[in-house]
Amino acid sequence: MTELKAVHERKHVWRNEFLLIISLIVFVGVVYALDGALKPVFTTSTLLLTGVFLALVPAAIWLVFFYMQDRLEPEPKGYVLGVFALGALFAAAVGVPLVENVFRVSHWIYANTTATILGGILVVGFTQEFLKYAAVRYSIYHSNEFDEATDGVIYATAAGLGYATVLNIQFVVSNGGVDLGTGVIRMAVVALAQAAFSGITGYFLGRAKFESEQIWWMPLGITLAAVFNGTFNWLRGLVSQTSVSLSGAAANPWPGLALAAIVAFATTGVVLWLVRRNLSVQAGK
Amino acid sequence: MENKKVSLGDRYAEATVFIVTVIALLAGWFYKSSVENSSIPFNVEGISAQAPKGWLQSQPAGDELLRTTDRSSSGFNTTYILRKVPLATDTPAAQVASLLTLSHGQDLLAFRVLDQREVNVFDKTAYEISYVYVESNPDLTHKNIPSIVRGADYIFVNGNYAVVVSYWADEKNYDLDLSRFHLFLESISY
Repeated sequence: MTELKAVHERKHVWRNEFLLIISLIVFVGVVYALDGALKPVFTTSTLLLTGVFLALVPAAIWLVFFYMQDRLEPEPKGYVLGVFALGALFAAAVGVPLVENVFRVSHWIYANTTATILGGILVVGFTQEFLKYAAVRYSIYHSNEFDEATDGVIYATAAGLGYATVLNIQFVVSNGGVDLGTGVIRMAVVALAQAAFSGITGYFLGRAKFESEQIWWMPLGITLAAVFNGTFNWLRGLVSQTSVSLSGAAANPWPGLALAAIVAFATTGVVLWLVRRNLSVQAGK
Repeated sequence: MENKKVSLGDRYAEATVFIVTVIALLAGWFYKSSVENSSIPFNVEGISAQAPKGWLQSQPAGDELLRTTDRSSSGFNTTYILRKVPLATDTPAAQVASLLTLSHGQDLLAFRVLDQREVNVFDKTAYEISYVYVESNPDLTHKNIPSIVRGADYIFVNGNYAVVVSYWADEKNYDLDLSRFHLFLESISY
């Protein structure tokens, strides 16, 4: 029974992934426009609360799409929320303290290009991708509910968005609130990137469960996701370089959002193509 | 949630992911150390040292031969200062320490000495003063609130001059940045 289900594909997964990307771009545009038009004035606490609220929006958008589209092929919603929470918990309890306090990446990662790329892959990338993998592997992976290869993508995306939510909340709290316009762009970039790299890990997890893959299969998946993660952060820094003028210094976050959207579209497209190719091979057998 | 039995292959795959992640993090740690500990040679007035690479370095002024600052450290930027203070022959290190303490008391806000004693630093006898003060403007942009700075001066008397090496760091970073400072201290020769 499980084998029969494993060659089936949940089509709404891909719709959700693409809708998440488009919705986040629309969301950023709306918040940016409202911020520019209304020029709201915040107190310290309302700025902080608004920032935390905005940090929750990307995950909420994905979950809403998921719930709306999952009626035909229902996935236990409690498990999806549980994996989301576990991704967030791992980020808050292990990921952020390890990267920020033990490795203190902000002290050395921007020393030169090599440090940005290698630090981004070896420390930030591997920490994040391993923890997202662990959130799925040590919860839902061995259960009967994980019964299709695309479930890997669903649960890994949930874990990735949980991780992204904590990263965004941590950013808001450590800065005592954020400028709405640039803050919302950063949050969308983080959410898109984490969801995209989780998709890679999820694809490898799905195949690891339903096909007899080699021992190097899952480490390859984590490594690929970590390499994409580190390289993306370097590229994002490159395209969002700070410009200095007489009126002060400012970073342009829009190219970073464009890059994140392209990466998310491309990654989802490639994962979709790989899953479909794999399913057609299995169906042929 | 009904769990299936985990196969031996699954266990091996799980262990391999763990091992690969640990190897990557270890490699990251060694790479971090190499970046943080990389240095550039410094040699002025017969005093040489290995100054941290990538830090902001100011030109020598007065008795101050080197002032180097880590712009990436949070709060008050970690700073090393190297000074050559002329002395009358046979001036004891404790007397230099008293003068330094007096000078710090005039220059630094809410200056307090925590400890002072004679120590052995990398086979050289030195006099150590540990202190704390408040930096009212830790950031050039004036955006940060005042920081508590912990400092330590090491005084090495050598005939008619003393080499004074100061380490200033944000209270939160003091212990974390100490090992890097020890490398700098060890590299000093006069």
